[in-house]
Amino acid sequence: MSSGAPIAVAMRGITKRFPGVIALDGVTLEVERGELHAICGENGAGKSTLMKILSGVESPDAGQLEVDGVPVQFSGTRAAEAAGIAIIHQELALVEELSVAANVLLGREPRTRLGLRDEAASRRRAADLLQSLESTIDPACRTGSLRVGDQQLVEIAKALSLDASIIVMDEPTSALTEAESARLERTITRLREQGRTILYISHKMDEVFRLADRITVLRDGQHVRTVTRRDTTPAQVTGWMVGREIAGHAFHQSRQPGPPVLEVEGLCLSASEPGRSDRLRDVSFTVHAGEILGIAGLMGAGRTEILETIFGATTANWSGTIRLGGQMVRFGHPREACRAGLAMVTEDRKRLGLFGNLDVAGNVSLCQLSEVVRGGLLSRHAEADLVAGPIKQTGVKTPSIRAAITGLSGGNQQKCIISRWLLTQPRVLLLDDPTRGIDVGAKAELYALIDQLCRDGLAVVLTSSELPELLTLSDRVLVLSEGRVSKELSRAEATEQRIMAAATAG
Amino acid sequence: MAQSLWSKGLSFSKRWWPRQSEWALVVAIGLAVVFTAVVDSNHSYYTQPLESLRDIARNTALLGIFALGAAVVIIAGGIDLSSGSMIALSGTVCATTMLALAPAEVMSFKPVGPLIVAAACGASLVTGFVVGTLHAWLITVVRLPPFIATLATLVGLRSFARAICESSTAALTPTKSALINVADPLFKTVRDNVWIPVAVFLLLAAFTWLLLARTVLGRHLQALGGNEQAARLAGIRTDNVKWFAYCFGAMTAALAGLFYVANEAVAAPVNQGRGHELNAIAAAVVGGCSLSGGVGTVPGTVLGAVFLRVVIDAVSKLIKTGADVYEGLIVGIVVVLAVTFAQAGGSPRPDRRLLPGSLGLCTIPILALVVGSLTGMTMGGRAGIVTGVTTGVLLSALRIWESRQQAAGRRQAPAAPSGMQR
Repeated sequence: MSSGAPIAVAMRGITKRFPGVIALDGVTLEVERGELHAICGENGAGKSTLMKILSGVESPDAGQLEVDGVPVQFSGTRAAEAAGIAIIHQELALVEELSVAANVLLGREPRTRLGLRDEAASRRRAADLLQSLESTIDPACRTGSLRVGDQQLVEIAKALSLDASIIVMDEPTSALTEAESARLERTITRLREQGRTILYISHKMDEVFRLADRITVLRDGQHVRTVTRRDTTPAQVTGWMVGREIAGHAFHQSRQPGPPVLEVEGLCLSASEPGRSDRLRDVSFTVHAGEILGIAGLMGAGRTEILETIFGATTANWSGTIRLGGQMVRFGHPREACRAGLAMVTEDRKRLGLFGNLDVAGNVSLCQLSEVVRGGLLSRHAEADLVAGPIKQTGVKTPSIRAAITGLSGGNQQKCIISRWLLTQPRVLLLDDPTRGIDVGAKAELYALIDQLCRDGLAVVLTSSELPELLTLSDRVLVLSEGRVSKELSRAEATEQRIMAAATAG
Repeated sequence: MAQSLWSKGLSFSKRWWPRQSEWALVVAIGLAVVFTAVVDSNHSYYTQPLESLRDIARNTALLGIFALGAAVVIIAGGIDLSSGSMIALSGTVCATTMLALAPAEVMSFKPVGPLIVAAACGASLVTGFVVGTLHAWLITVVRLPPFIATLATLVGLRSFARAICESSTAALTPTKSALINVADPLFKTVRDNVWIPVAVFLLLAAFTWLLLARTVLGRHLQALGGNEQAARLAGIRTDNVKWFAYCFGAMTAALAGLFYVANEAVAAPVNQGRGHELNAIAAAVVGGCSLSGGVGTVPGTVLGAVFLRVVIDAVSKLIKTGADVYEGLIVGIVVVLAVTFAQAGGSPRPDRRLLPGSLGLCTIPILALVVGSLTGMTMGGRAGIVTGVTTGVLLSALRIWESRQQAAGRRQAPAAPSGMQR
């Protein structure tokens, strides 16, 4: 199996914990000098965390890192760069206000003999690097004015400028067009001819199978296996990526959908910035009481935008009609949506859902504070009585309702936020990627909870970046592609392959 | 299982028990008072306890009134830099109203009558509401950052107050003037009875405490400061909550402005309240408010104001003449020390160094120079040299110790978990 080349990078027993979740659990991985090693896994499998550890962004809680057989410990990205490792981040790490050339050479600016910055030299150097990527971006223009795909190319040029022997690419094509991806692949081929080692993270099987020598699969922070490309098939790799046991339990069986509750017709949402295409185009669907509608789509396909538009949380212009229980509604503020019986559990728990400065009870009671007012003042006893019910129903594990919410695990925090919305007694529950960053056990509990709420007659709209989750919970799946509904699949028709095909359809 | 642990009695008693940082402030206040009582060569805390107490109480009440406003704005996740200028504007509006309604009496230093005084004070408070509303509009509708919006009013309002003062005196009195004397006996009563501002301060503190701890609006203020996006998505009308916060901030400053006028018997927009906005923010921050929003209490802010005034008073007792020169320096040092200790108390990090790298090396002589020159100016040249050199030696020793610790830490346990960033 091994070609006998020297080991460029070895990671042994790498473990990394974040509050409430184990991101990596004793992962061991060896990368040979000069190979292209693909790392595959679902969202949350730990791919990006592993690469952040390799490039010095995060430090591991346990485990050993070796470069060319020498144990190393990186104190930061600078140290990793000195050891010859460069990373192309998935999230763009560019200073938008600076020029392209300044970004490419940030922290390593060429200088003139007088010690001043040598703008001409940095532009030349940036232009050379961009040319090697077959790009015609002007190095002098402001980075923020570029399209996302071009920004991604700048990020790649930045990594190339380090002249690193080991290059980590974290989903580099997620924002690129077909033509740009093809150019990137040609660059990768050139880099390999120069003998560089590449770690390539992706969940696009066609790319992986075109480029990789060997493939490592991660799942839930654990190493599943490493194989050579010739010995495997895309279906097999996908199977290893997904193969979790809880996916076997199908909750949707024997649910009886009631009358339609939420009807959306011809929803269009204009672009966030002029020049970009519309974020939603002619989206229509219906959700019934006691039914879970899943919404699938790639990053940026418009999943969150649909929920935010319905909930009155968007400030952009939109058109279309929304009916709630047969009544036409148009919410200008989340408060109105909340009053009308809508509830929305937001995508990014920390940024959009949690109040770290309030305790558990304060986080849960927030939307129904008027119910705990006694004589004009908040009553802490009444608040405790109010939140006890939903906290018990959702199964939050907390030492006390007055405990700090930041001390709870991700799953329990999410249950608190669901509790908050259950108190408003909604008719429709919008769940935006509710299990992101939550470990497997807590996911199963949340699935059971969502299923129970649905059986109690709630209409649920669920988006997820994980297909098995949608298949486990949904009665129907709506597939989005670039802001349009490209397919609606009943539970019987829906498979991961079909959803993926519809999500990537132009 | 978890429910059995919710002892309501426990949560009740915990609620009334001041936090650790608040106890620390109480102790610090006590220490400052005892220190001053012992070291002061005039022993004024022994010989004139009532006068000393009255001075501190009056100054604390005046600062505390608008420090509470600053705290509410900070807890709501904003900042109000304009309160010093608001104080000047409030005083000017009050005096100008009296001048307009009773020009003869004001010019001849005669009483203007309670009705006119009430109208003047009302006009000041309305001005506070107007300024707060302007802030809220600039921040929520025009979408200026709070820092910029209130920086603009910090410079703008004082200028506006001076313009009002000059044009009203030009129109209503024989000569244009940069100040208006206020001689009504009601104001004199307030000046002579320190308990009035103190009572107003305590009532306002009680009201603010009730507001933050026990009302829906208070919870919404905390939620807004803690996570604005999430607050909006939870259905809170965040723009309205901000409107309230900035109005509260400006109106408490307006109220304080009335007391400044009473205290000094004059509305002088050129200097009144100048720089006071920073004292208010300092009191809130020393009292435990976090400038990133969502965190802070009324008892903390009250203690912060008391602490600040006690320390300033201690310095004036120790230095005797020209102590006001040092006031800003004291406030600066107190803020740095208080916030440093608050942070250290929150998350002790064993790997944290006080004097790392070349920056640390450069800081040693700077700190030594500051301590040395301060002591030299207040206690004589020789004492200054001695303390300066001692500080330098002590810091150098700390630096060497830290370097050794780090070297030792590097040698052992390569994979030790480092302090995780949250």
